[in-house]
Amino acid sequence: MKKPMPAPDADSAAFWRGMRDGALLLQHCGDCGNVQYYQQAMCRQCGGEDLAHRAASGRGRVHSFSVVHRAPGPAFKADIPYAVLLVDLEEGPRMISTYTGGKPEDVVFDMEVMLVCEKVNDEITLPRFRKA
Amino acid sequence: MPSIRKQTLRGKVAIIGIGMSSVGKVPGKSPLWLAADAAGKALADAGIGKNEIDGVLSSHAFASPFHRFSVAFSEYFGIQPTFSNTLQVSGATAATMFNIGAAAIHSGLAEVVLVVGGDSLLTGLTPDLALRSMTESRDQQYEMPFGIPVANTFAMTAHRHMKDFGTTSEQLAEVAVVQRRHAMRTPGAQQTTPITVDEVLNSGMVTTPYHKLDCSLISDGGAAFILTSAEHAKALGIKNPIYILGGGECYTHEHIFLMPSLTTTGAVESSRRAYDMAGYGPKDMDLAGVYDCFTGTVIMMLEDLGFCPKGEGGRFVEDGQMTYGGQIPSNTHGGLLSFAHSGIPGSLFHFHEVIAQLRGQCGPRQVPDAQLGLVHSLGAGFATNATTILGTENTL
Repeated sequence: MKKPMPAPDADSAAFWRGMRDGALLLQHCGDCGNVQYYQQAMCRQCGGEDLAHRAASGRGRVHSFSVVHRAPGPAFKADIPYAVLLVDLEEGPRMISTYTGGKPEDVVFDMEVMLVCEKVNDEITLPRFRKA
Repeated sequence: MPSIRKQTLRGKVAIIGIGMSSVGKVPGKSPLWLAADAAGKALADAGIGKNEIDGVLSSHAFASPFHRFSVAFSEYFGIQPTFSNTLQVSGATAATMFNIGAAAIHSGLAEVVLVVGGDSLLTGLTPDLALRSMTESRDQQYEMPFGIPVANTFAMTAHRHMKDFGTTSEQLAEVAVVQRRHAMRTPGAQQTTPITVDEVLNSGMVTTPYHKLDCSLISDGGAAFILTSAEHAKALGIKNPIYILGGGECYTHEHIFLMPSLTTTGAVESSRRAYDMAGYGPKDMDLAGVYDCFTGTVIMMLEDLGFCPKGEGGRFVEDGQMTYGGQIPSNTHGGLLSFAHSGIPGSLFHFHEVIAQLRGQCGPRQVPDAQLGLVHSLGAGFATNATTILGTENTL
């Protein structure tokens, strides 16, 4: 059973290209300074379209997490248990991801984490996080 | 700026009929049949015929192929309404159907609105498909590639609540224990075996901090309601109309990572708007139907709906405040955790219970002299919130 994969669209293509190149791109608004994740063609704060893509440092902190013991469908059965993270990136935005490079039970609140670019196939590389 | 007194729908619309199919495991019945069965019972309860319905609002059904469930329902039921829509804001849909139905009647778009839903998540779908139907509601770009069931989004809010306010797993479990006790007095409830806090904690982890018994059921079932104008209810000679006093909604985000706060939700605003319209506050409510997809959801909602201060929901539940004799008896039928959870229509059962309580029809589980009730529906990791306040004739 194949896992669901993102299908890059007009809003998200640049993000997934960035991931393929090893960079987690955030959008910086030239009009109001807002930094946003995820990618879209306008600033969620001011509506401006002068958005610059800049690579995130990859440093973040775990705001919340939950260790999945019952898989959401057959595609994830082999992975359980795994920790889903809400990571606050150093630049401000929060994103969702999963923990890698360690046991899920090692995850704690406010833990410092670092981006890992995990290549899934030629098209898709997923942003995951390990302990910093 | 001059203050503008808005004309609201407070007291303009009455619920004159309620109906429910069998719930729990109802094999061999389609979502449309479950909805139609409930609708027939609601019409009989109101004492009117199906041709008097001119508006139909429904939720959609996971186990039904129909995109336009409300339209397919009307064909199945043999009616041709002149107002209809299939609403989709996940778990919040139930309260929005009441709010929008009332607005449609108040504005003259319809005179008699059927609010209806039915789904068969237990026998109409395989367990894996039922779970998948829940996961497919998450964004395919930025959420689902990581394997995030909707349960997980709610789990992360509860987890942070535990971290910030010291809420315990035992307090979460107590919600399930209380609601199971409630379900034991509700005829037809799916789960009626008593449970203890220890049993909840030992029921197997689903996604931390939620164990199996912290999670709502998977069920079949439908419910239906007849709404009409207060004048028409009088003309029909309805004995115990229950009035819609206030409604409010709030949509704060789509993705869980853009939820403004993991522990304070749009229910604060949706309920504030409903209370304002009704002219009553949380202390005035005699009972509540609180969307309870997970135990921690109830604790956060008791806070956000104003029944206790932020962060004290766990202790509030532990102190017996959400059951009989407490401040706000909640989910007196057992809720999604113990009565039934047939997907989106699941929160229609909260309406059925609160209305039956306000009518004084609940026998051994009757909340004494219930006059005012609140129902709160929510969904999609707290993305959607909708509140409706209901009252008897005495509260107008």
